[in-house]
Amino acid sequence: MGITRRDFIKNSSILTTAFVVGFNIPIKGKAAAILKNNILEPNAFVQIDKDNSITFILGQAEMGQGAYSGLAQCIADELDAKWDEIVFKAAPVAPVYNKPGSTIMITGGSGTIRYHQENVRKVGAVIRLMLKKAAAKRWKVSLSDISTKDSYVTNTKTNEKFAYGDLVDDIQKMKLPNDVKLKNPKEYRLMGKPLKRHPIEVQEKITGKGIFGIDVRLENQKYAALIHPQVFGAKIKSYDDSVAKTMAGVLKIKQLPNNTIAVIAEHWWQAKQAVDTIVVQWDTGEFVKTSTADLKKEYRSYFEKDIHSMRKDGDTKKAIHNASHVVEAEYYFPFLAHAPMEPINCTVYHDKDKALLVVGSQMQNLSRDKCAQILEIEPQKIEYHNTYLGSSFGRRGAVNFDFIIDASYVAKNEPWPVMTLWTREDDIKMANYRPMAVSRAKMAVDNDGNITAFESDIVNQSITQGTIFEKFMFKNGIDKTQREGLENHPYKVTSHNLRAFCPQSPIPVLWLRSVGHTISAPIVENIIDQAAVASKIDPMDFRIKNLQDARFINLLKNVAKQSNWYKREKNSGYGVAIAKSFGSIVAYVVKVKLKEKDFKVEKVWCAVDCGYSFNPLNVENQIISSVNFTLGYVKYAEITIKDGAAEQNNFYDYNVARISDAPDSINVEIINSGEKIGGIGEPGVPPMFAAVINALYDVTGKRYTSFPIKLG
Amino acid sequence: MNYIIINNKKIELNNVSEDTPVLWVLRDHLNLTGTKFGCGVGMCGACTVLVDGVATRGCQTLLSEVKEKKITTIENSEDKEMNILRMHWKEEDVAQCGYCQPGQIMNATGLLKENSKPSEEDILDAMDGNICRCGTYNRIKTAIFKASKDI
Repeated sequence: MGITRRDFIKNSSILTTAFVVGFNIPIKGKAAAILKNNILEPNAFVQIDKDNSITFILGQAEMGQGAYSGLAQCIADELDAKWDEIVFKAAPVAPVYNKPGSTIMITGGSGTIRYHQENVRKVGAVIRLMLKKAAAKRWKVSLSDISTKDSYVTNTKTNEKFAYGDLVDDIQKMKLPNDVKLKNPKEYRLMGKPLKRHPIEVQEKITGKGIFGIDVRLENQKYAALIHPQVFGAKIKSYDDSVAKTMAGVLKIKQLPNNTIAVIAEHWWQAKQAVDTIVVQWDTGEFVKTSTADLKKEYRSYFEKDIHSMRKDGDTKKAIHNASHVVEAEYYFPFLAHAPMEPINCTVYHDKDKALLVVGSQMQNLSRDKCAQILEIEPQKIEYHNTYLGSSFGRRGAVNFDFIIDASYVAKNEPWPVMTLWTREDDIKMANYRPMAVSRAKMAVDNDGNITAFESDIVNQSITQGTIFEKFMFKNGIDKTQREGLENHPYKVTSHNLRAFCPQSPIPVLWLRSVGHTISAPIVENIIDQAAVASKIDPMDFRIKNLQDARFINLLKNVAKQSNWYKREKNSGYGVAIAKSFGSIVAYVVKVKLKEKDFKVEKVWCAVDCGYSFNPLNVENQIISSVNFTLGYVKYAEITIKDGAAEQNNFYDYNVARISDAPDSINVEIINSGEKIGGIGEPGVPPMFAAVINALYDVTGKRYTSFPIKLG
Repeated sequence: MNYIIINNKKIELNNVSEDTPVLWVLRDHLNLTGTKFGCGVGMCGACTVLVDGVATRGCQTLLSEVKEKKITTIENSEDKEMNILRMHWKEEDVAQCGYCQPGQIMNATGLLKENSKPSEEDILDAMDGNICRCGTYNRIKTAIFKASKDI
């Protein structure tokens, strides 16, 4: 007996939207390759039913960035499917949904559109061609007499029509064509248009019907609350659960192999109340002596050591010696929690050699494999369902799979499906933080305003060392995420000496939206601002003078014009910054106003070049998202360590941006340069950090290089 | 007999401990999962419902406090202000991940019931307790402002 979803679905009206997978998915042997003779496996992505309902099956996780709607827009356009009526489902785990050229299903690196658009468009185009061929055969006319629109095929001579669903039997017998062509931009009906998020997704999200991981309800489901170590690396010596055991609803209390205690109860609130009565004796180890000040001191000490070389060319020493102006600065970037809106959760049902795993994850097959490893079963024996993600920013793509591990241990050998749900405090204190970094930078400029040297040291924990990503992303002692944006900054500089080091600690670290660029862009864009001021050249002009790529220059000129840069208002601070990340370039000018001992970013002008914008409205929405997301980290959020544990707990001491922090206006202009397509979920974040600190200098005369910024 | 009125339906609750927060009564006992858990300490607004028309944090309100009272949740499809807000939520393309949106809409509904013509400052004051990690705030502001014009 296989586990079928029917066995577990308690409230099918809730689960229907996310969980129907009722057609053939090629997952065996070579058919698993995404491209077979350059042709896709179309039925893994599109299901057309005889009643003309059309379903798209999408392997990218929807976490707010518009992945479902964006991919659907691409497929629907090539297929000429009726936009409002298509529906979409989360794909199961299958290699056909892997990131092209990789062995993983991953939603990250702002990659949904840039890595997948071509393949999903081919799917739509292949099916449309097959439908046209089927109709041509039935009507005995040539292909040129056939047109398609809104899920119908039309005979242009007679005006006869077939619904796509009428031709399902015909195309099932047909060989996949290899003469398919993608539409050219003039033929686009949906791509390139500012479409709102797909109406079905929107309706689910404004009526409370959308199913996030936390909303999963299976037959006989129980709930678990946990006690995690607070001091990083602490081990459980003993615990007293005598009160918890007697409490209403409590079914089981167990210690997990990862130094975590779980209470399983009928309802989560019961589990949570029981957890609060358990007293644990911890062996806290050596790390209990550590504080943020200790880490800063340790990190700084590496500046004086022979650390790893990231980029060395020219003679920086000589250039600095001969320079007209030399500027230098030290930067501090704190540990940052992602704090996704939906608290972390995962639901597992372990049934002997099989299991059901329901979770919102950015890495589906690796999550499944980790669950299988914990349950000691074959990965293929796990039925996997991905839900909506109540935001993530990298958190639900944890390289240490902490929440998958917790939930798998909780449910292992238990008779019920169990949802393991973390509290907000579990998430804030459990780490997987954006690494804390300490960095210093020095820049030299000659008499003519040319940059002659750039030196920088960067010290932060590696995100990938010791994980499955190490072999691709950690080389010669340097994490790839330390390199991004730093070694390949866009400016003409005649000599470099860039160095890096990765210290270790028991604090797990992880990619946060925009990853290494959250550190490199503030460094590069701030030190260059300082160099401009020292050279007595306008920061906009100084950048334009020292850039080489016309795309960058074009964007800066755009934001200069938008913001009326050369006629800036007095009594406000203006800052500019530009950075390329995840294939796209974003430039900002921000206007900052001081308010007593606080400041407010009042206006933001943005220019973005992502090659080609498949959906300008979503590009704008992602920029708005990036601006507000970043402002929280600029102004408030910081995880500090005291006695080996995070000092912060919840939104009362780990603050994020609120509606009163949002700028009064955020103006976005999109440049379709026709260059290679870039991402949009992340590129708006990195330059925002820098634009704000540069604007604060403009109005205060002080360089704030330590985040979050505390004026005074 | 313990009962509460949810979305105009009288619901008896006899096997639920009275010190259970309304958030968990809705989610785990009544399977109304539209009301979201976000922080558990009243700092994020994801759990906002209306109690007798007033925006209230479900995680900070016990079942014993709402007995015989009228609770409105995001699942309600008949509330006038909510539906006007929903229309503008669509029009402004507000939702991204969507997780906080039920709480945002419920809180905005509470605002408009109390003050049908809020100033920008009123909107910021009322909505500052509702976190949106996707940062859709600019769209939320516009949607509420436009909805208020329609009421």
